[in-house]
Amino acid sequence: MEDLSEQKPAPTTAWLWQALTGVGLIVLLALHMMTQHFIAEGGIRDFAGVADYLRNPIVVLLELLFLVTVTAHALLGVRSILFDLGLSARAETTVSRALLVVGILTVAYGMWLTWTITQQI
Amino acid sequence: MTLEVALKVFRYKAGQPARYDTFRVRVPHTASVLDAIEAAWAQHDRSLTFRHACHHASCGSCAMRIDGREKLPCITPVRDVWRGRGDLRIEPLRNFPIVSDLVVDVSGFFQRMSTSGMVITRTAESYLPVAAGAADGRPRDARSVTLPEGVARVNRFENCIECGICISACPTMAASDKFMGPAALAGIYRARLEAPDEAESTRLLGFADGEHGVWRCHSGWECTEACPQGVDPAGAIMLLRRDLVKHRIRKLFGR
Amino acid sequence: MATQLQSSRLRRTAQWADVRRRGMGMWAYTLNRVTGIGLLVYLYLHLVVLSMLAGGPDMWDPFVNLARSPLFLALDVILIAGWLIHGLNGIRVTLTGLGFGTRSQKSLFVGLMLIAGIGTVVMGIMVFGS
Repeated sequence: MEDLSEQKPAPTTAWLWQALTGVGLIVLLALHMMTQHFIAEGGIRDFAGVADYLRNPIVVLLELLFLVTVTAHALLGVRSILFDLGLSARAETTVSRALLVVGILTVAYGMWLTWTITQQI
Repeated sequence: MTLEVALKVFRYKAGQPARYDTFRVRVPHTASVLDAIEAAWAQHDRSLTFRHACHHASCGSCAMRIDGREKLPCITPVRDVWRGRGDLRIEPLRNFPIVSDLVVDVSGFFQRMSTSGMVITRTAESYLPVAAGAADGRPRDARSVTLPEGVARVNRFENCIECGICISACPTMAASDKFMGPAALAGIYRARLEAPDEAESTRLLGFADGEHGVWRCHSGWECTEACPQGVDPAGAIMLLRRDLVKHRIRKLFGR
Repeated sequence: MATQLQSSRLRRTAQWADVRRRGMGMWAYTLNRVTGIGLLVYLYLHLVVLSMLAGGPDMWDPFVNLARSPLFLALDVILIAGWLIHGLNGIRVTLTGLGFGTRSQKSLFVGLMLIAGIGTVVMGIMVFGS
């Protein structure tokens, strides 16, 4: 089957990812809210609480997955709003690339922060 | 019985700033808004420019905004939109360049409509299925129609009269000059139903894809809300999306 | 051709935010976009605030006390309302966006926002209670 659109990422794909990350967030956000606020004593963890929480590698993995998903969904949303302006094809590619960079930096920051915290235990 | 209504009409002539003029006209109580506008033109200002032709909602020429909402003034009774007090605001459609007063430039609109390759004007058709039990294929009653063999129903997108109301109502059309717009996308959906083969159907689907095709729609549903002919362009856009997603998923699995 | 008049670019770009004389679908769209932008701002604010964790307990624990204040908790409830509205409406957008349930899109919106309202109240109680 041929490509319907030459653009990268293909518009249908972008929307699909938007929808999929959105659905994923229903679970991941609920998880994050529960473990960070409703289970945590006092509703928010102090430093010792955070360090303790991050000791579990599965927890780290889930929180990282949450960060990737929420960042992707958020930046795809920004892309959608910007594309509404009727940009040129070149501008659209630039915007997509710039947002990708922002996304990568955001996740990298999250990974760095997690590592920094666990180093301090 | 007559009523006296005050129309507050948007005015624009090249080289002058835009303004609103108020015209008081006396019309029969059954008058349509278009009747009132014509009375304003005839009795007060012959330079008032507006489009009108069929006067019965089949040409789509007169589309404008009445009290901020997109409507066809030829079929909108004054009594339906004016409560007897204050001015009745008359303005041109949104999201089109304004040529003069209530007349907008629709050339871009028709260019987009021609993407689907459909004949521009069609009369409204019933979408009711062939009446059950009419073995000889003849309609059982006046409302049902005889459809071609193998076709169970026809949907109503044929009712589009290219009035541009959906374009005016659409929030994405406001921001983007590139968006295809509800009418053109609904036209593509309709054209696909009549496509002679799979290749043509896929080619048309390709037009609906793209950053300025269906994916710029954000489900405002205003087009469907405002359409005077019940075309439901938003519904068409959603169904095109479904086809595009199916196409994408099949491609993922190499089929 | 004689000069044509068009609304300013700014006005046209912001038209999505004008819900006057608009149907339920527009309310849903505008709400989704507004909550989306709000959540985006919150996301990056949250990430920046979390950087205090890098400073160890001396930097983080004072903030924890601040975060337990009634003002902060109230802001938390607003946040919860934000993602409940955005998330539940997002489900609707995904479903209708694929052509499912298009005929009931309005009642779907009303129903989901009611759930969002109830959810906000329930979680608000939980937040202030903990």
